[in-house]
Formats: sequence, structure tokens, C-alpha cells
Amino acid sequence: MEARLEGVSFAYGDRTVLDVPALRFEPSRVTALLGPNGSGKSTLLRLLAGLDRPRAGRVLLGGRSAPAARAAVAYAFQEAVFLSGTLRANLDLALRLRGLPSVERRERLEEAASACGVAHLLTRAAVHLSGGEAQRANLARALALRAPITLLDEPLAGFDEQGRRRLLGELPALLRRFAATTVLVTHDREEALRLAADIVLLREGRVRAAGPKEAVFAAPPDPETAAFLGYTLLPTHVGLAGVAPGGLHPGAGERTFEMHVEEIVDLISGIEVVGRIGAARAAVSFPTAAPLPSPGERIAVGAPGSAIVSFTATTPDRPPPATVDRPARAPVA
Amino acid sequence: MSALWDGLREAVRLIASGDGELFAIAARTLLVSGSATALAMLAGVPLGYLLGRARFPARTLILAGVGTGMGMPPVVAGLVIWLLLVRNGPFGGFELIYTKPAMIIAQFVIATPLVTAFTAASIQALPARLPDLLAVLGAGRLRTLWLLAREARLGLLAAVIAGFGAVVSEVGASMAVGGNLADDTRVLTTAIVTETSRANTERALAYGLVLLAMAFAVVAVLTLAQQRGPR
Repeated sequence: MEARLEGVSFAYGDRTVLDVPALRFEPSRVTALLGPNGSGKSTLLRLLAGLDRPRAGRVLLGGRSAPAARAAVAYAFQEAVFLSGTLRANLDLALRLRGLPSVERRERLEEAASACGVAHLLTRAAVHLSGGEAQRANLARALALRAPITLLDEPLAGFDEQGRRRLLGELPALLRRFAATTVLVTHDREEALRLAADIVLLREGRVRAAGPKEAVFAAPPDPETAAFLGYTLLPTHVGLAGVAPGGLHPGAGERTFEMHVEEIVDLISGIEVVGRIGAARAAVSFPTAAPLPSPGERIAVGAPGSAIVSFTATTPDRPPPATVDRPARAPVA
Repeated sequence: MSALWDGLREAVRLIASGDGELFAIAARTLLVSGSATALAMLAGVPLGYLLGRARFPARTLILAGVGTGMGMPPVVAGLVIWLLLVRNGPFGGFELIYTKPAMIIAQFVIATPLVTAFTAASIQALPARLPDLLAVLGAGRLRTLWLLAREARLGLLAAVIAGFGAVVSEVGASMAVGGNLADDTRVLTTAIVTETSRANTERALAYGLVLLAMAFAVVAVLTLAQQRGPR
């Protein structure tokens, strides 16, 4: 089922927090709503769930307005909330409210609980689950619904690092098995890249980029978006150059920059040389066997042209893209 | 000390002998205080829910008013209702003064702030996201209210206990608006005052013990309901 926003704006009082002329979420694909805190990601998710009504415009799920199509939606809140009673009772209530018969409810909840690793917690009081357990149970409740549209608000929040890594590895398979069209909120680039096929990048309530993740990452529309995507912004004589994450390498390249080395960081899996190119901070990965520069030294670092996006000082603000299947592209140097 | 024993003996004798006057007064007390509590729940639970959930400009002022109402002396509530219902008062035409409905109205005024405040506190203590969760799960309005009430049952039953406990034990308002008429508006508390003034301490003490036993029985049933169920 596709989800679509048409001319949507949303405000808290006089403060407009979301302004989306047009946006479409492709059926049966995972889309990450990526953006810094306060960019409007969760607001957009609440509009899709019909929990909030837009001040203007329409939110359509499979052609029906969002609140009316609520039965098509499964939603996992960032903060896991449960009713009193066992986890089994909580998962069962979610399925019962969708009108499913008891045999199917039992099968579905046990399948989802088992897949999410919470089957052994079914008889425990849901409100007493620990942070990570509660988040997995929260996910199981949403996935058990097998809804046409699954909305996940920061599904990896509330875990310790080990738990987050583990679920990050399991989530793609879980979503393939239990979810159809999926929209998930994250402020983490890596999560977006690992989990989603499409990315909608929000900043200050506006869509700055949208489309398949490769296209969004290859062509950030402005320096701020590029910086959020992990680009290193370097001043050039015509404006700014954005070097894609991991784009810089030791030694000269298609484009060569002079770097003033400040620090050598041993990451065990490799060495990171951190320093400044002009006033901009940059990091270059060195192979462990390579000869290393010393702090204070000036070295040459390069980048292939394909890893560089130019932002000329005279480039006007591009309008935001209309849909996720028509990504914005910026000129590549 | 012997008066206390005499009172206890008299209480047991009155209960065991099925004393008609005692049982009539006890039944009347249950009727008046039970009705007042039920009406206070009807008004106080929705108002408490609104004060606990919604945010509007006068909310804090209303909460402060409700809090003040919790500490209102019953005799003051009785006096105000008496002034309203007395023959030449604004509602004198209804001829309610010195009737059981007048007592129910006065006790309703006493119980409602308690029920409202306890409900507001219990609803406010629920997770803020709970109504959103129930909405996305597809619970309708009535189902949502029922599930929220179930979650807030500790506080809601505390509201009933507090409301009933306050009105069943008050004497000032019942005396003022009920008039303590024998076989009509006399309840256990006003009967205790009457018997004490007649130096009939054994019977007064017996009424007191019956009042305590009745309050205990009602509160025990409510507490049982409160403490059962999912944790």
C-alpha cells in the first residue's frame, strides 16, 4: 500500500513544524525519515498514523485519508508503552482490536514474539520489562499486526550498544517477513543506510532530499544537508566542495587538498588521521601498514571526482523534490 | 471503660435481635450516602478525566478550586444547600428541604471534589502516550475510556472510597438539610448525636459501631476490587 502526502502543513500554534508540498512512500519498500532532532520526522509519522490532523492538505494511505485508514497501520512508538497485564495480554489486545479470531491471534503473537526474541517474556508483566526487552516487545506488537503500512519511530532507541547492533542486524529480515510498506524514523545515517531502500531527508520541517538512498547520498542539495549526510565540507575558490563520507584517501588524487595533521586515532581496525583542510575539520583513513604522518605535519590527501559535490556560492536554493521516486540531483564536480 | 463494654453488648444485642430502628437507619444511611457517592462519580470522574488529560487556560484554577473543595467542612456545604433549598430560598419551590434528596444533594457537594481530585491525579499518572497507543491499535472512544479506566482503577477506586468515606461519616450537612427527622431523614451519624444528647450512650455507641462496620464492609469490598486484577 502506498502512502502519500499532498500539500501538507502542520503547526503547533503559530509555529509551522512541517511543510510538505508532495511526498510519496513507495509500496512494499522501507523508507527512512532521516533528519536531526526537531526536523519534523515524528510529526510526519504521527500524520501518517492519523494521530494528528494536518492544518492543510491531505494524508492518504492507499487512497483513503489517514485516520479512516488506521486499520491499515501498525505503529511502534519510540517510547514503549504497555497496559498492565502480561506481555501476551498486551500483544493479544492489539490483535483483538483488529478483530482477529483467537486461534489466529495466538499464532500471530507467538510468531512475532519468537521472531523478535521476546517469546520467553510472554508471561511477564509488560510494564516491568527492561529497556531493551520493552523495545523488542514494542516492535513485536507492531509486527504481529502484519499491517499494510508499518510505522516505526526510532526502533533502535533505548538499547545498549550491543543490543542496538544485534537488532540492527536482525531488523531487515524482520521487516521483510512481517512488514509491507515501512516508514521508520531515525536520526542516524548508518541506521537509515542499513535498514531503508529509500530516504526522505527532513530539516526544519521541510523535505530536503528524497529518493533511493544511493541517489540521496550521491547528490545532497545543499551544504547543510551534505554535512548531515556525513560529507566533509571544504572551501574552494568557487564555493564549497562536499567530499562524500570515506571519500578522502592519503596522497594525491583527482582532487588534492593539503591537510594539517592534528591527531592520529588508532581504531584497531584501522588508523584515522584527523586534521584540518583550511578551516574545515577532516578525517582520512590510513591502512594499518602505511607509514603514518605526525601531528603538526602537512600532508596531501586526495579524493576522486565522483566523491565530490560542488556547492557554488551563486547556486540558488533548489526546490524540494516532489516525490521519493524523483530524487533531486546536484551538479557533481 | 464499663460504658464502652455496655455499648458493645448493646450493639451486639441490637444487631442480633434485628432491631427495626437500627436496620432502618442503617439502610437509609446506605441509600443516602451510596446515592450521593454514585452521583459524585458520575460528575467527578468525567471532570477529573478532563482535568487530568486536557490542557486549557482555567485548568490550574479549577484544580485549585477542587483542592479547596476537598477540605470544605461538611457543615458549610450543608449551610449553603440549606440556604438554597429552604422554603423562602431560590430553590424553595422544589420543597426538598428536610428530605432525603436534600441530604443526597449536600453529600454530593461534599463528595464530588474528592472524586474529581482523585480521578484527575490517577489519570495524570498514566503514561502520556497511552491514549495514542490505544488510538493506533484501533480502540474506539468507549473502548479507550474503558481501558484507561482499567489502567487507572487504583486511583478511581480510591476516589470512590474517599467519597463514600467522607459522606457516610459526616454529620453537619445531614443535620442541616435533613433535619434529623425520625423514620425519615435520620441517618447513623445524626442518630448518634441524638442518642448522645439523650444520654443514651449505649445505643449511640451501638450506632457508632454499626456505622464503622458498615463503612468497613463497603471499603473492604472496594479495596478487594482495587487490589485484584492484572499488575
